[in-house]
Amino acid sequence: MDSDSVKKAIIKQALQATNTANARTLIENINEKCFERCVPKPGSSLSSGEKTCLTSCMEKYMAAWNEVNATYIRRIQQEIGNQNLS
Amino acid sequence: MSSTDFTIDQTDIEKLNDKDKTELRQFFANEEHRSRIQSQTHELTGICWKKCVTSGTFRSGALDKSEQGCLANCVDRFMDANLATMKHLASMRQQQ
Repeated sequence: MDSDSVKKAIIKQALQATNTANARTLIENINEKCFERCVPKPGSSLSSGEKTCLTSCMEKYMAAWNEVNATYIRRIQQEIGNQNLS
Repeated sequence: MSSTDFTIDQTDIEKLNDKDKTELRQFFANEEHRSRIQSQTHELTGICWKKCVTSGTFRSGALDKSEQGCLANCVDRFMDANLATMKHLASMRQQQ
């Protein structure tokens, strides 16, 4: 192992760890929000309507996450721009 | 397992030259920043989801235009509110 491959391995492991943690938090939040919304009164099994609701809810939550992320990043960049002007 | 999958130990760390050490420091600084933004995004998505995505059942997995606009406004107003609180806090401290 030379310096370059050690560096690359460290970067790879770190990226894997943060990406896994991010995905886990997203999935936990989706479960919480979509269960709350799609299964208001839990029955003896999930109905097909509840299942459809859960998958649509999941897709929608991910779309919302992306929208919020994009807006948040845009806003942070704007604030940094303002700081540099003043 | 690819060739880069291995456990990094002390002897590997010692192989890093100064150039790569500097690069790694920069990488971790960037990652910390990215990770802060991601966790704030998780928090904001939770808050804004409650306010903006209110239809009981989900007919489609896509956001409609009004939900999308609401989410963007929600993030911006949250930041405004945050700044307003900080500003007021600063003025309260000056009055003391």
